[in-house]
Amino acid sequence: MASSSLFGTALAVARKDLKVEWRTKTAFISSLVFAVLVLAVLYFARDKTSVGDYDLAPGALWVTFTFAGMLGLNRAFLLERENHALDGLRLTPISPTALFLGKVAGNLVFLGVVELVSLPLFILFYDVPIWRQLPTLMVVVALATIGYVAVGTLLSAMVVRTRFSEVMLPVLLLPFLVPPIVSAVQLTWRILALRPLSEMTGWLSLLAAFDIIFFTLSLLLFEAILIE
Amino acid sequence: MASSEPAVRVHEVSRRFGYRWVVRNVSMDIASGEAVMLVGGNGAGKTTLLRVMAGLLKAHKGQIDYRGMVGMVAHHTMMYDALTARENLVFFGRLHGLRDDGRADRLLERLGLGHVSGERIATFSRGMLQRLAIARALLHEPDVLLLDEPLTGLDDAASQIVLAVIAELKARGAALLIATHQLIELASVTARVGYMVSGRLAALEPLPGPDAGAIVSRYRDLVASGV
Amino acid sequence: MGLALVGLAGIYVRALMFTPIERTQGPAQKIFYVHAPVAWAALLAFSVCGLLSLLYLMMRDRKFDLMAAASAEVGTALAVVMLTTGPLWGKPVWGTWWTWDARLTSTLFTFLLFVGYLVLRNALTDFEVRARFSAVLGVMALVLVPFIHVTVYWFRTLHPDPVVLKPDAPSLPSVMLVTLLSSFAVCTVLYIGLVMQRYALAVMQDVREEEAAGGIS
Repeated sequence: MASSSLFGTALAVARKDLKVEWRTKTAFISSLVFAVLVLAVLYFARDKTSVGDYDLAPGALWVTFTFAGMLGLNRAFLLERENHALDGLRLTPISPTALFLGKVAGNLVFLGVVELVSLPLFILFYDVPIWRQLPTLMVVVALATIGYVAVGTLLSAMVVRTRFSEVMLPVLLLPFLVPPIVSAVQLTWRILALRPLSEMTGWLSLLAAFDIIFFTLSLLLFEAILIE
Repeated sequence: MASSEPAVRVHEVSRRFGYRWVVRNVSMDIASGEAVMLVGGNGAGKTTLLRVMAGLLKAHKGQIDYRGMVGMVAHHTMMYDALTARENLVFFGRLHGLRDDGRADRLLERLGLGHVSGERIATFSRGMLQRLAIARALLHEPDVLLLDEPLTGLDDAASQIVLAVIAELKARGAALLIATHQLIELASVTARVGYMVSGRLAALEPLPGPDAGAIVSRYRDLVASGV
Repeated sequence: MGLALVGLAGIYVRALMFTPIERTQGPAQKIFYVHAPVAWAALLAFSVCGLLSLLYLMMRDRKFDLMAAASAEVGTALAVVMLTTGPLWGKPVWGTWWTWDARLTSTLFTFLLFVGYLVLRNALTDFEVRARFSAVLGVMALVLVPFIHVTVYWFRTLHPDPVVLKPDAPSLPSVMLVTLLSSFAVCTVLYIGLVMQRYALAVMQDVREEEAAGGIS
């Protein structure tokens, strides 16, 4: 008999989420299209004479990820509202922690795919030396995304019960994005400008601290959202 | 199989939403192999009581003791439209720690859904959804089953299947509490009736008679007497 | 509460009449006596809100929720004052209405954070859900505030301002210092007074709702 272990059930939830999303694809396509649009608009709107690509590119990348990501975050709990599926989950022995982890995992995959598809486009638009830096950049993207998704998952669970959840989520989430996204932009800029690692340690530690603290905090607080 | 301990004991349970007490001081015992009907007007608190008993809501006062596991069939299917019947059952079974060992298929057969197990439930009729919900509730072989208006919206054939399942569960020793407006159909499988009025359990007693009329007039008496 | 208002009036008088005009910045500098203490009070309000939210989650006592909300509202109002006095001070002194100074920016984000808190409260009708959810947000917000401070501060120091400013020079003449300190004290009292009022109002509303819904089982 398969165990109802923490990670086992979390994984089951994540897979279910991804299966459902794959079959409907709506959130995914909207996010992708949105990402492309934002990237394109920012690219064409720039004034090449006054702002160099190096200065603009990091901001453009992260604005794209942030807003495209926001479209995907709500989907995780909107899904559970249909047919009151969340009640179905709560009737099982699944722990709030497992449910949170499962949702976060699903969101991470979702966002990860959006990011992976946007990155080549970004490279196409902005002529910055990215190849050698790609591993470092990926690390930064991963770190920032983790913090973003952890807080976003918790907040979306709350916001999904309100009437204008699509609007409420950005309103609540954006202040929380200041530390990770600013750090990510700073780091991206330095990476693309081929700065030495010593210049990045400060922002890296901020990002890591944010991730650790807010992931844990969101995990702990999730139970309060779930139990009625 | 009979035991002196009830399968579920509800002891002075109350629940509020905001400041409104929706379930007030309800106590009842249900034995194994027994099916109890729960009747009351809309807003009388039947659904809330069932949800508290299922563990979806905390009881603000009182407590509930179970011997065994609890399952619930509610008004909504609580399942995913984009998944097939089988996938839904396997998923929820997984959350109960059950492996995909054919249990899902057996349940689907038993409820007459074997032929559509591979279809997405978005296409299912109300009757099929209700039967699927029952299959899901039975995955972990609960000893107590709570049903919230299980026959609503079902045609005759589907109703018959559900009633047969209820009778079978009873025979196997499960305890059932069934909230309903369909008094005649359920009178055939239940022995006791609980009357809910304004959140209180006004009375819990044997069926007054096999026809709906007796139950309705007893209900009206209770409402009028302002319990 | 009355005491706070009198104190507030007293500060104004003193600031305007008795404290000498600071040399480089002129009369507009006097706004500082309101600006900085109000900022402090706002920050105090938000921190208290966060702490009360944590207490609510631990003990589920309705009073903590009402007080946390009161504190957030007062804090937001104070933050508005701070954010408006900032530009009012800035224009005559620096020549611009707004500058992305670390403190102002940090307060701006914190302000937006708590506006979000109030918006969330407004969007939830069931009071138990509202209390729980706002408490969660309150605790998250409390932990976020230091992060925002650090982020903004690092961002500023690594991107030097075109206009360098030192709003609180370490050596203030004692007269100004006294005014400033008493202003801090007054604002703190003001904060307490406002929260008490708001809380009392919330409790009254609460009681009325309770009566309207009828009694217990």
